[in-house]
Amino acid sequence: MANGTWKIARGRGNAQLPLVIVVALAVVLVLVGKAQSGLFDRARVHVTDWMYPMLERVRGPVQSFDRWMNSIGEVFSVYEQNLKLREENARLRQWHNAEIVLEGRVKHYEALLHAVPDPQLDAVLARVIGRSSRPFLQTMILDAGNADNAKPGQAVIDASGMIGRIYLSGQRTSWVILLTDLNSRIPVTIAPGNVQAILAGDNSPMPMLDQLAHTATLKAGDQVVSSGDGGLLPPGLPIGTVVADGKGGWRVALLADAGQAQDVEILKFAREPEQLPAAGQLPVEAAGLKAEAPPAANAPASGVAAKPGTANALTPKPPATKTPVTTAQAAPKPVAAASKPAAPAAADDSETDQ
Amino acid sequence: MAFAERSQAGSALRALGRQVPLISGFFCAFLSNIPISLTGGALPPPLLALVPIYFWCLVRPDLMTPATTFAIGIVEDVLSGGAPGLWTLSFVLTYAAVARSRDSFAGLSGLGAVLGFSVAALVACTCAYAITALSFWRLPLPGPIVSELAMTVLFYVPTAMAIGAIHHRLVGPLRSDV
Repeated sequence: MANGTWKIARGRGNAQLPLVIVVALAVVLVLVGKAQSGLFDRARVHVTDWMYPMLERVRGPVQSFDRWMNSIGEVFSVYEQNLKLREENARLRQWHNAEIVLEGRVKHYEALLHAVPDPQLDAVLARVIGRSSRPFLQTMILDAGNADNAKPGQAVIDASGMIGRIYLSGQRTSWVILLTDLNSRIPVTIAPGNVQAILAGDNSPMPMLDQLAHTATLKAGDQVVSSGDGGLLPPGLPIGTVVADGKGGWRVALLADAGQAQDVEILKFAREPEQLPAAGQLPVEAAGLKAEAPPAANAPASGVAAKPGTANALTPKPPATKTPVTTAQAAPKPVAAASKPAAPAAADDSETDQ
Repeated sequence: MAFAERSQAGSALRALGRQVPLISGFFCAFLSNIPISLTGGALPPPLLALVPIYFWCLVRPDLMTPATTFAIGIVEDVLSGGAPGLWTLSFVLTYAAVARSRDSFAGLSGLGAVLGFSVAALVACTCAYAITALSFWRLPLPGPIVSELAMTVLFYVPTAMAIGAIHHRLVGPLRSDV
């Protein structure tokens, strides 16, 4: 950089042709990446797994530095914060007492109604070992991976509410896509009113509510929880509260602060795929009516052997053995005829049970 | 015999020296994508990989070729976790823009050099923004990309100094090769 400017070397050959080809290759890469967004996922996970020990070691000092940085501003408002926290604590104690009473009442009502209890969700505690806040990607990295049964799609929460979901998992680490990320879209329910919507991140601190019904009426302060539609996320996870964006739309002030979260839970939730009902649970059989036998003349024509007691491929079979019930789905069914053979007597039993 | 050995060692050293821009680009991409944020994710990391691309595109374009830029862009894409090809295309287009006005950019010094790099970073960030907008078919918030641009320009001077030192120690002695 003599005389403040750089000495320029003249390259050999014509670089224009390779440049055009390379630009074309880059465009192709973008298009291929659009079709296959997980093109580099494996390489990325390998790099993160490789960096895992270093991230673990650095995590402590970084966390301390973060706390120190945050504490600088808080020093001047300790007294006010203390007063506010005391007041909030007193209010929360009142709410806690009310919650205990209400919880008992709900359990009593559920028992009376034979309600199917909520599934017990298994969870893994994980620590945040890295954060990546790029202009078009907001993620965090957790120290739990495939070895801990952390899988893509699982919800990540902290004590306040939902933070995001895992979108990539390596052997020892997982990448979490935050609710605020541009790529994040999850189905939510807004209470009261049970309004369904899609929570779409746009890299702002407050994601927006999309796909709202035209007839839906919202107001600031309404509670937003996960709806569980699609079976990927458990229903009822607290997410945030509705706020108006001032342009006629609605956004959600998140309960959880992803920037401050250090220890999070990965919820293991996977709704079992629906199975065909047993013959005894079919509406006709359950109602005590005998299904009409198909005309015998049609049987040979259709090419299906119509022997009594055998079923063709289209007839649902009663399960040979009882489906193993996991602890996560240990829900006592009110209908007791699930594993019983199709018979009018079984249908009668189920009716008396109900 | 000794002359031949020395010649072999010299050519090996030259071959290694020719890879310095590529290795520096990879290292800068790795450095800026270490998933550690001292600001709790409030500020994005700078695009450090753009500095060696800009520097050697002006100083030694025979070493920082479009293919080298492409490779650095891929590493940036892999490590940053964004959409595949986003930074690859942005870097290559920025390279094309800088290479086209090479004489103007290389003549800048002092604050002008920083402004020159700012223009290059602006091209890269604008490309990334446009690609993302086309990809999602809606305009993302400009705030995060503006922060990225600001951080990149802020970190330019120390990074360019380090790159300059590497150039003078490792790449400069190979100048007779040009």
